[in-house]
Amino acid sequence: MASLSFIIFCPLLAALLIAAIPRNFKVLFRLIALGATFLPALAAVRLFLGMEPASGRLQYEEFVPWVYSLGISYHVGVDGLNIGLILMGAIVGFAAACISREITDREKEFYLLLLLMTGGILGAFASYDLFFFYFFHELALVPTFIMIGVWGRGDRKNYATFKITLYLSLGALLSLIGLLALYLQAGGQTFNIVELTRRLSANPLSPGAQQAIFPLLMFGFGILVSLWPFHTWAPLGYAAAPTATAMMHAGVIKKFGLYGLLRVAVPLLPAGAESWLPVLALLCLGNLVYCGLVAMRQRDFNLLLGNSSVAHMGFVFLGIASLSLVGVTGAVLVMVAHGFLAALSFALSGYLHQRLGTLEMVQMGGLLKRLPFIGTVLAMALLAGCGLPGFANFPGEALVLFGAVKAGQWWVILAAWSGLVIGGVYMLRAIRQILHGHLPERWAGVPDAPHAWHKLPYALLLAGLVVFGCFPGLLTKRIQPNASRIVQAVNGPMLAGFPGEPEAAGYWLARGRKVTGHE
Amino acid sequence: MEYYLPWFILLLPLASAVAITLTSLRKGVVAARLSIGACVLAFVLSAVLFGRDASGVTQFNWISLSDGATSFIADIALRLDPLSRLMLLVVTGVASAIHVYSFGYMRHDPGMGRYFAGLSLFMFSMLGIVLADNLLMLFIFWELVGVSSYLLIGFWYEKEAAADAAKKAFLTNRVGDFGFLLGIILVWALLGTLDIGALKTKLLTDPDALGALATAAGLLLFCGAVGKSAQFPLHVWLPDAMEGPTPVSALIHAATMVAAGVYLLCRLFFLLDVPGSHALVVIAWTGGLTALLAALMAVQQDDIKRILAYSTLSQLGYMVMAVGLSGSADNPSPAMYHLTTHAFFKALLFLGAGSVIHALHHEQNIWRMGGLVRRLPLTFWTFLVGTLALCGVPPLSGFFSKDGILALAQHGNLALFALAVLVAGLTAFYMFRLVFVAFIGPAKSQAPDHAHESPPVMTAPLVVLAVPSVLAGFWGINEYFGQQYGARPVEHGFLATLIEPFTHAPGAALSGLIATTAGVALAFALYRNAVTDPLPSRLGLVARWLRDRFYFDELYAGLIRWTQDALAAVADFVDRWVVAGLVVKGVQGSVELTGRLLRLVQTGNLQTYSFLFAAGVALLLYFALAR
Amino acid sequence: MTPGLEHYLVVSLLLFALGLLGVIIRRNLLVIYMSLEMMLNAANLALVAFSRFNNNLNGQVMVFFIITVAAAEVAVGLALIVALYRQRQSAHVEDLATMKL
Repeated sequence: MASLSFIIFCPLLAALLIAAIPRNFKVLFRLIALGATFLPALAAVRLFLGMEPASGRLQYEEFVPWVYSLGISYHVGVDGLNIGLILMGAIVGFAAACISREITDREKEFYLLLLLMTGGILGAFASYDLFFFYFFHELALVPTFIMIGVWGRGDRKNYATFKITLYLSLGALLSLIGLLALYLQAGGQTFNIVELTRRLSANPLSPGAQQAIFPLLMFGFGILVSLWPFHTWAPLGYAAAPTATAMMHAGVIKKFGLYGLLRVAVPLLPAGAESWLPVLALLCLGNLVYCGLVAMRQRDFNLLLGNSSVAHMGFVFLGIASLSLVGVTGAVLVMVAHGFLAALSFALSGYLHQRLGTLEMVQMGGLLKRLPFIGTVLAMALLAGCGLPGFANFPGEALVLFGAVKAGQWWVILAAWSGLVIGGVYMLRAIRQILHGHLPERWAGVPDAPHAWHKLPYALLLAGLVVFGCFPGLLTKRIQPNASRIVQAVNGPMLAGFPGEPEAAGYWLARGRKVTGHE
Repeated sequence: MEYYLPWFILLLPLASAVAITLTSLRKGVVAARLSIGACVLAFVLSAVLFGRDASGVTQFNWISLSDGATSFIADIALRLDPLSRLMLLVVTGVASAIHVYSFGYMRHDPGMGRYFAGLSLFMFSMLGIVLADNLLMLFIFWELVGVSSYLLIGFWYEKEAAADAAKKAFLTNRVGDFGFLLGIILVWALLGTLDIGALKTKLLTDPDALGALATAAGLLLFCGAVGKSAQFPLHVWLPDAMEGPTPVSALIHAATMVAAGVYLLCRLFFLLDVPGSHALVVIAWTGGLTALLAALMAVQQDDIKRILAYSTLSQLGYMVMAVGLSGSADNPSPAMYHLTTHAFFKALLFLGAGSVIHALHHEQNIWRMGGLVRRLPLTFWTFLVGTLALCGVPPLSGFFSKDGILALAQHGNLALFALAVLVAGLTAFYMFRLVFVAFIGPAKSQAPDHAHESPPVMTAPLVVLAVPSVLAGFWGINEYFGQQYGARPVEHGFLATLIEPFTHAPGAALSGLIATTAGVALAFALYRNAVTDPLPSRLGLVARWLRDRFYFDELYAGLIRWTQDALAAVADFVDRWVVAGLVVKGVQGSVELTGRLLRLVQTGNLQTYSFLFAAGVALLLYFALAR
Repeated sequence: MTPGLEHYLVVSLLLFALGLLGVIIRRNLLVIYMSLEMMLNAANLALVAFSRFNNNLNGQVMVFFIITVAAAEVAVGLALIVALYRQRQSAHVEDLATMKL
């Protein structure tokens, strides 16, 4: 049962099932959604524990040839780079389904879209074929727009929908052009990432081509991850999105762009990376410092979270741009950690919004008294967000800083200032205004999460943060071999790629290799 | 067995904190038992380790990454050596007394479970700092200590002042930690390891390994201590931290956490004391300046806890100065010595103050006290012992440890020596001002008449702490710490120890004594029967400056408002109006405008279209045929 | 004087221009429709004339083709106009602007 295809298709098939059921069976939709996200989460945990940690090999591979003439195949597998993301995505998917009890109209469509999102993004992380890699991501991305438009909140809902749709479509389009250009430049024979990596490391593209394609991917993926200055969609979109959508998008789907940079752009276009990553390193300061400062000024809690989420992405960009083993490993760690954190924070803000009807921080205060559970978890999430040890963000951010210094990037000073001080300022301000201080009369009757079943999603996400915060070695030892290959693809001396031939696919992929390779 | 003992000691408080959080937040008594049990057990185990002279390192791999060029290995490694052994004993010992005391002090607070969970979390973090053998681990526990302090200062979070003080403490510490982290990163980048043992070996074989950046690295590491030990210019958080419950002030903001900065400097002394580094000079002067400023500010405070807080600041400055003065020839054991004795008597003083506050129903202004000597006899006598120890009256512990620092200053830097003597005099002055006004002098309000001595659960810890405050001078603590730095232990008899300061550095001992006597005498003259403070009328503006703490808070508030807040406002403005407004709206607007313009052509009138069509054809024909 | 090609063409041109003018300025759908037919016949006339003067029958074949198509078009078009008239009680183009923004 713990196979990757099960993890991907369980939610997708459940979505089909929901489509087939008449809309009166409201309870059924929720039950199906819970089941179809819980099982993949379980399977992902088994996969995570069952994989061979330190080899860097592709594991749990599945390979189905599809379109021979274009070289498209369904090829999934895990290695150190994506296992953490798959685990995190599956757990966040389940938590998002749990939290969606707040949705009361059009449940059928909501759960259907949520399941499409979950299955899609897990498929995107697991795919080793550029076609499916992109296709699955679009499958996850498009429901985001619909969900914000239909179930969103606030009077700026329509504007937010427009904005997020336009931005993200632009990002997806740029990266599509980049991916197609890459495919064509590499000979137009295979979409398979493993095979492409093998061919391009033996016989790289001309530096000119690399330098032309890399920025397409960098900015395309960057827009998807809210790279400064293409970030303004994020806070607005998350503020307007229904809770589950914000959790899934900010936590999981957003990581696709970063994953794409690490999986495709950097290893396949090392010369392009070498000349363009310094630009990324400069832009990420915009995320870290500028967006951190903007977050300090927010009065709406969701806008604060949105801006802080944009700021955290800066750490990942910085880690990738450092092109050092320590930095890249840290970047992957931050991706996983931030997934849990963003999902948790948006889940909590969703709870507050549902119970209070507002997220204006000045109107709150002293809520810890009424909400011992939610308040404690919120305080922990916010402290995790300013990089407190014990939560998974700290080891990731620390590794990124260490890696960036090793790469000789002096602006790491500003990054550290942003992470430690600016992050501290806005997170503590939020705690101070929401949880501490005097409890206003109107909130005297706000209820806490009533029982264990309601507490479960929060506890689950928090557990993810704490487990990887206390034992980051669980992830780093899996990430290290792959991160090391990515770094060495650019800096030498080793070639990029995966150890060993992909077992299932060797013969099928080998075709046409002579045309481009000199083996 | 010795392999597991330090782990037990470290994890016991954590286990207690987790257990309390998960099960008994609402059952205060159960929580208190768990927490006290864990703390006392940790104390017993520390004593066992101390008795066995156990040393060595045990580790657990946390993160380890390496490729050919770089390796990043961060272990959770516990190091046992003379420094950590004794520090363990001091921390767990003082903490045990304070835990027991808290049970009495917090008895009627509905949040007692939360309180003890926080206390246990603090113990875990503090023991982590003491035992750490890895710079990153040190930083981790450094942050955890900060957050547990945040939680405990903000324990009464509904009080605006407490919530603000907690935030201020955490953020001020964060500024220091920022430098500390950069220092750690710099050391790692230069030396390639985070392991303290390995770093030491590296620097022993190649003292110039840090090169030109030695001073920078040392000062950045010192930033951590500046934040945590509240040294100038980050001293502003500590007085505000007194908003927390008094036992917390005693444990965290007097005896242990704030001393962690000094401990850090002693732990990493080999990194500061390298040839070509000027870090120690800066450290010495920072410490001296803090000691003087804080002592001056203490003179005009009226809140009993704030007086003690400034006194703590000043003593911490003393210790930091001692570290800075122990140049290459000496070792920083006097700083650790003073840290230890200070932990005893300052915890005692704070608990005594807590007992007073408890008896007076949360009255903290000393000008509303008086005559407590009859009402609270046990509290008074123990408080007096603490005061005498703090002022350095022989043969109490404070005399010996302070004398060590004075002797160091006399050898090292005469300007700092003069400053240290002045601070000793000021210390005696403000402490006896407190004693005279609050305890001995006439009652200044109705409140003292109804005061009753605290229950035994609170007075017993006072007595327990009074014992080491008196006797710690004879236990050879200085020599024990000296082992850490390779000094040969010297055996002294009781009498020899008693007169040792006068034979070793008579000038220092005598000037210290004279200054103390002068301070006490002045306090006696001014405050023996005072009902209001006579100083403001005599000193005028100066007294106001002292009372308002030299306006540092206002200065910083302005500084932050004009730099970081202004930047944030600008960034927010740019984000709202330029990036989201001008650029994005501009692009969107121009597209929409074009659309609107083109829509005018699209009239929907068939005949217009056909006219335009015909005109177009005619035009084309004209161009095609007529030319 | 025997009429030459240019005479036929001038007549065809006049017919076409009148038809176009009718299409552009008249408001009644039926009249527009008839004007349209006039333009078609102008084209027919030109084709026949060219055919006659160039001794090539292709043009006349084309004319038959156009007449057939035009007949079909008239059938459909008139049916639409009648249906529209029944619906709206009007055959004026100003009244038929519901799809305009």
